[in-house]
Amino acid sequence: MNVDPRALNELLEESQDLQADALRPTRDALDELVDVNCSGAETDAHENLAFHEGHRRGVFTSLASAPLLAAAGGLTLVGALASSAAAASSQDIQILQTAASIENLAVATYKTALTLPYIGSSSANAVVNKFARVTMNQHAQHADAFNAAARALGGKIQTKPDPAFVPVVNKAVASLSGASAAQGTLGVVGLALELENIAAETYVKDTVLVRSSTNKALFASIMGVEAQHVAVLLAVQALLNAGAPQLISLAPGTAASLPAAAGSVGFPNAFYKTNSAAPATQGAVK
Amino acid sequence: MNKNKNKNTGFNGTESELVAMTRDLDELHHDVGMPAMWEGVSSMIDNLRDAPAVRSTNRRTFLMGVGGAVAGSAALLSVGLNPLHAGAATIQKPSPKSVLRSAAFPPAGLKGDLAVAAVAASLENLAVYAYSAGLSAATAGKLGTVPPAVATFATTALAQHTQHAQAWNAVLAANGKAKVTEVNPTLAPTVNADFAKVTNVTGLANLALTLETIAAETYQAETAMLSSAAAIGLSSSIQPVEMQHIAILYYVLGEYPGAQTTGGATLAFSPINQAV
Repeated sequence: MNVDPRALNELLEESQDLQADALRPTRDALDELVDVNCSGAETDAHENLAFHEGHRRGVFTSLASAPLLAAAGGLTLVGALASSAAAASSQDIQILQTAASIENLAVATYKTALTLPYIGSSSANAVVNKFARVTMNQHAQHADAFNAAARALGGKIQTKPDPAFVPVVNKAVASLSGASAAQGTLGVVGLALELENIAAETYVKDTVLVRSSTNKALFASIMGVEAQHVAVLLAVQALLNAGAPQLISLAPGTAASLPAAAGSVGFPNAFYKTNSAAPATQGAVK
Repeated sequence: MNKNKNKNTGFNGTESELVAMTRDLDELHHDVGMPAMWEGVSSMIDNLRDAPAVRSTNRRTFLMGVGGAVAGSAALLSVGLNPLHAGAATIQKPSPKSVLRSAAFPPAGLKGDLAVAAVAASLENLAVYAYSAGLSAATAGKLGTVPPAVATFATTALAQHTQHAQAWNAVLAANGKAKVTEVNPTLAPTVNADFAKVTNVTGLANLALTLETIAAETYQAETAMLSSAAAIGLSSSIQPVEMQHIAILYYVLGEYPGAQTTGGATLAFSPINQAV
């Protein structure tokens, strides 16, 4: 096989080799609006996560220390409910804050999931484990980007999770109590899938709602990443439900063993829907 | 699961469950997704008709100017297509007329959002072509053993790209413009040359990955450039689907299933450096 897909790239304008290059569109967009004081963190996931969590430590301390998700049921995130409400700031600010609140919830959820042995330990499925860690860091970067954009417009940063979805998370967390590894993994995947789809649908809708082209570009750079999370989780969920966790693998030869339906389960719609999108002001800072 | 140890045991007896799941999703797609899509297209058409003026885009003059640059190499695709999979567009075979049309691509008279619609349709046509040709080659046994999941992927992705092309062409038709039936003339020669080198599934998947990436990044870039809300909505409803195609292609290739650099570093933000 002598195919060189990079031949196509000769038609293109920019190198795609560097992480910095890849991040440039988003960074450039934000630069138009904001004095980005976290730009260094954008290139380092660990630093970025630390930056992100610095804003959230007060909210998620108990969740982070919970030995099991079951212990967190109803306790950790519900407290944030009272502090988010409709805001009086501009529409773009509220939309950005709502997006940040969704990202905050996602970060907290993945962080807690990684405390579970069947997700976060060395005995967990390697693909699922890496996905959870990478995705958590990506959501932290998304939250920071949304908050930077909101702050640049004169708004407050949103450090709390989306109040409307907190009960959903808490209910799911509670349901994991006493679950087996297989059941627990499915539960976590199902919860993550729901959150990721809400995020993706919300941002698809937000690209239309926000007024600034810079903010449109920001949402556009993130919505597809969330949709990819959805695709992966749909595939993982299908393989788990089918009793084939061994096929959740990046090992050579895996594709040959996958069932036919696994090739399409990750993208069920030709057009991404928005009927599960969060209302624009749902997570705005009061 | 250790990436270095291939302990795959195949799929035993639960295919029916996955098939049923896929069937349910497909029904949901037709019950919900298709009406929503056409509602969105109708909305876009209405909005474009009402738009007082089309905002000119200064982002690259590709929409208006690429034709000249590629005119000399705009001979379009000559690979025979499986008629079962040539749904969205009748791919043009080389002819003086098609070359002429390509040289003027997007067609004169299309500006702003409508020009973007034409380019989008041409990219979707190119994807339809590539998947159709790939499936035809697979059927002919030219790609060796084709895993069932890969065949399903290609068939489903082809169908979705067909719908994307139909959506953009519906917009053009509703505005009194001719539908775009040709593949993107900028990329076609290279795709054609690369496809000629494909001898197995991995090669086809890599080619598809490149095309999907270009499509996704183009839609992403245009989201901030389109003028009508309906056009933005349509573009935004497609970009994530292309990104999902990319994720599954990476998985099939044994790579991390998400946005990444060519070096494999994961990305939290999708880039646009491959947008056309």
